[in-house]
Amino acid sequence: MSDESPRVEEPLAPIALDDPHLQPFAKHPEGAQAVAAIAMVVGFVGFIGFGVAYWIGNDSQWQALTLGVGLLALGFGVTAWGKYLMPQGPFVEERHDFHSTEAERDAMTAAVVERGGMVVKRRKLLGGLLALGSATMGVVLLFPLVRSLGPKPGNTLFETNWKTGSRLVTVDGREVRADDLEVDGVLTVFPKGFQGSSPDQVILIRLAKTLQPLQPPGRTEWGVLGYVAYSKMCTHLGCPVGLYQRQTQQLVCPCHQSIFDVRAGAIPQFGPAPRPLPQLPITVDSAGLLRASGGFDQAVGPGFWERP
Amino acid sequence: MRRLLQARYVVPAVLAGCVGMVGLLGFSPGAAQAVDGPSTTTPVPQLTSPPLPTPIGQPTAPSASSVLTYRSPSNQTGIFYTDLPAAFIAPGQALFASNCSSCHGQDANGATGVAPNLQRLGAGTVDFWVSTGRMPLANAGVQAIRKPPRFNRLQTLEIAAWVQSLTPGVGTKVPLVGTGSADLEAGNTLFTLNCAACHTITGSGDALMGGAYAPGLHLATTTQIVEAIRSGPGNMPRFGPGNITNTQARDIAAYVQGVIQHPSNPGGFALGGIGPVGEGFVGLLLGVGILMLVCFWIGERT
Amino acid sequence: MIDKSLRWIDDRLGIAKGGRTFLDKIFPDHWSFMLGEIALYSFVVLLATGVFLSLYYIPSANEIVYHGSYLPLHGQRVSEAYASSVSLSFDVKSGLLMRQAHHWAADIFLGSIAVHMARVFFTGAFRKPREFNWIVGVSMLILGIVNGFLGYSLPDDLVSGTGIRIAFSIVESIPLVGSYLAFFLFGGNYPGNGVIIPRFYILHILIVPLLIMVLLGAHLGLLVKQKHTQFKGKGKTEHNVVGSPMFPTFMAKTTGFLFMSTAAIFLLGGFAQINPIWQFGQYEPFQISYAVQPDWYMGWLDGAARIMPSWEWVGWGHTIPLEVFLPAVIFPGIIFNILILWPFIESRHTKDLAYHNLLDRPRDRPKRTAAGAAMLMLLGMTFFASSTDVMANFLELPLKSVLWFFRFAVIIAPIIAYFITYKICNEMRAAEGIGKRKRAQVVLRSSTGEYTTVDSEPRPGDGYEELEAIPVPTYIDLVPPELVTGAGVRRVMR
Repeated sequence: MSDESPRVEEPLAPIALDDPHLQPFAKHPEGAQAVAAIAMVVGFVGFIGFGVAYWIGNDSQWQALTLGVGLLALGFGVTAWGKYLMPQGPFVEERHDFHSTEAERDAMTAAVVERGGMVVKRRKLLGGLLALGSATMGVVLLFPLVRSLGPKPGNTLFETNWKTGSRLVTVDGREVRADDLEVDGVLTVFPKGFQGSSPDQVILIRLAKTLQPLQPPGRTEWGVLGYVAYSKMCTHLGCPVGLYQRQTQQLVCPCHQSIFDVRAGAIPQFGPAPRPLPQLPITVDSAGLLRASGGFDQAVGPGFWERP
Repeated sequence: MRRLLQARYVVPAVLAGCVGMVGLLGFSPGAAQAVDGPSTTTPVPQLTSPPLPTPIGQPTAPSASSVLTYRSPSNQTGIFYTDLPAAFIAPGQALFASNCSSCHGQDANGATGVAPNLQRLGAGTVDFWVSTGRMPLANAGVQAIRKPPRFNRLQTLEIAAWVQSLTPGVGTKVPLVGTGSADLEAGNTLFTLNCAACHTITGSGDALMGGAYAPGLHLATTTQIVEAIRSGPGNMPRFGPGNITNTQARDIAAYVQGVIQHPSNPGGFALGGIGPVGEGFVGLLLGVGILMLVCFWIGERT
Repeated sequence: MIDKSLRWIDDRLGIAKGGRTFLDKIFPDHWSFMLGEIALYSFVVLLATGVFLSLYYIPSANEIVYHGSYLPLHGQRVSEAYASSVSLSFDVKSGLLMRQAHHWAADIFLGSIAVHMARVFFTGAFRKPREFNWIVGVSMLILGIVNGFLGYSLPDDLVSGTGIRIAFSIVESIPLVGSYLAFFLFGGNYPGNGVIIPRFYILHILIVPLLIMVLLGAHLGLLVKQKHTQFKGKGKTEHNVVGSPMFPTFMAKTTGFLFMSTAAIFLLGGFAQINPIWQFGQYEPFQISYAVQPDWYMGWLDGAARIMPSWEWVGWGHTIPLEVFLPAVIFPGIIFNILILWPFIESRHTKDLAYHNLLDRPRDRPKRTAAGAAMLMLLGMTFFASSTDVMANFLELPLKSVLWFFRFAVIIAPIIAYFITYKICNEMRAAEGIGKRKRAQVVLRSSTGEYTTVDSEPRPGDGYEELEAIPVPTYIDLVPPELVTGAGVRRVMR
């Protein structure tokens, strides 16, 4: 945009009251005023109503209705006043360039470059030390800001509280017996003493009465009496995989619908989950209680950089 | 003021109003409930329910004595099991022969690829499928749908009694559920842990894999809830008494009946109880949409 | 009296000149210029209701036993955050209304930002000299989404807790530093040591709103400094703005609109139940509900995570969870970068370095309009993909088919949208006057049998002609000029 006209002050004449620009927008101003007035009265009544509704009870609907009607009607009235009854215009405002003159720009550049150059170029050492000091300060200030927030992950992400011999208990702490679940039953279990712990959650499924379920090679002994146990943390984003379809023998994550084939080591069949749910090897002890015959052989839950 | 009434305002305003009303009504639970049949909230099975359209076959006249023998004491709480009266068996066989046997076979032992074997499933399983209207099947699909039941309460129990008589003592029995002093708080916890992953926390149900779905729970009776917990219909896992005790099953049933089916919605329309999907729909179409129309009114000048 | 106080202030602050200019500021009369105000006013409602809520909410993960009004929760061990959210809904008068209005205001805030932004984009209002304001606006959108998520997480109910769990996993997915960042943020492995709720709280009620307010000030300041854009029209040039003055016309309209926007939010707040946390219950990391979705403005991220194939990269003893990192970090990163850089991308492409104060009609810039439509389609498809389960349930379709549909649709639909939009724009440009109301033609038969056509009588709205625009008058003659005698008229220097 090149606005060549210089910005001059010019006298602005007053305009007459009957100038068309000052006329209301409405063809029938009295009617418009009546409508606006009625609306504003309704608004007033609405606010009174809100006060009453508040004092006589705590009903959300009455409060919202009265307050809403009050605001709506008052707002409608004010807007109608502005739209229909105020000077219709149109009015115009001049627009001017933002940029300064070339001379001003030159002066600004000169001030920065030459004045700055004069001091910095002559005292390069000081400039460098200032930069060094500021940068160091910036870095060390990050320590308390970031590092104090929490512990380093260390090995935590690879560990759970499942150990050889851990008893399977329900969230209430009840020990799970081998005859507790019927075929096609599911139960969320934890290692005894860690009920409710997020990384330890395991879903226990009974697939059949006696037969060993179909297991990947090397895992044939990981289930017992038709029971299999998998980490309940989805390998996609860590939601609890609590949805078991017994006819298809699939675990489904309710968050993003990853499907895991329970009969085949919970390998993902569909959806975004990349890895099978880690399986917990379980066995039954002489007292008929279910126990872990080992911990997880890998990190549970979603993927992360340190995971091999 | 005539300008206000011009079609250019009226049409979008009416459209927006219609969209809004459809949105609100379509998502309100009331609309969903109006579709389907009876949803009795009585905690005991009612044998004296109003007669339904006569099914194919011979209607059986309920004998007063048999009705009276099958009632749980209404002042008790818990889950009770009694054997169905022996008098139910004969009429049940007749009903089964004319309504069910074409698929499930004369001896209810099913046919491969057509219909499952019903023996050993127990009266409770049969009662669930028939009383929810899922059986007789309307048309073969992935999953039987709930519809108004073909048989009345007595007829249903008669069929169940006959199937049970083929394998006495085996399978899920028909429970009598008394929810009198049930622990809603325990039911809430149990529901969240065991049921919400499929049926959703508000009991609206949702789609499963393979074209199946977890049905909404708004029409289920307490008897049906306990039968489903115990028998695991369709894709639902089966929860035996070692997993969910009778007391816990009663608490879940009471929670579903008392809270899921009659949710406390002090905040207004529940928008279907499907969470942010319905809320986003209403917020964008009704909220932003109507305010945009207001903008249009304020800003235009012709 | 007013005169006296203004003089008193002006003696000290010198506001008269700038203040007068501000009162004379012209706002173009076009409905699409009001869209940003919906966002402004929902933000006002957010602040007001948020202050109310902060008086009752307790940002603490401490476990207590619930003993409030909602009976099915009685005796449950819940966090103080959850208990206070439920009790401010049930036991504080007007609390539920305020909480729901707050939530609806957030939904509407981000929704109106989206439509406002679409208006700015499709009319080219972001072009020189307004690139700064575009960037400020996009920054507010990002902060608004972040703050919406933070606020959604605070009640510690089952649904929001699932969202926090997912947030942890997303942070964890960042290569090299992910697990460190996640541990720092949560104070340990998920669910952390109880610091996440207080941390989210201080971010939600102080830090992010403060940033938004600073940016909002900059947004409006730049608007006043650079003045409004306007559509082409009678008397409208690159060097002026035609419309209504700030005072009184615009002020009346916008005050009314503030009231009406607030009314809409509170009516929704009272009649459309949102986020009934008492039904959801306390969050526990091993519990889940089906049909859990984030609020709508996060939906596109959730949808992207759903339709992403399971492409995990494993090698050299490390894992990059691309199935999370790509849709949840890289995808929004790319989208927001494109948005922020769009003014520069476009000007590089068009080599257009001129000032632009007159707006484009979308059809006049077919490529930009088509690109915008493609972007909207991409985001829309990922957005709808976040409700695949609900959609499959309502439409009775297999869930897998719905998911596969969206896997293809996110790629194909934007391309189709681009070409269709491009075509439509060109067709519309070819047919000038399209969409305008046409005057009816009346066919007359003269007495000699000759047929002629003439325009019909103007109907309401047909013959409306704008007057010539004039500067906002400062002095209005209350006396008709012919009656003025003697005393001169005051004149003002502008």
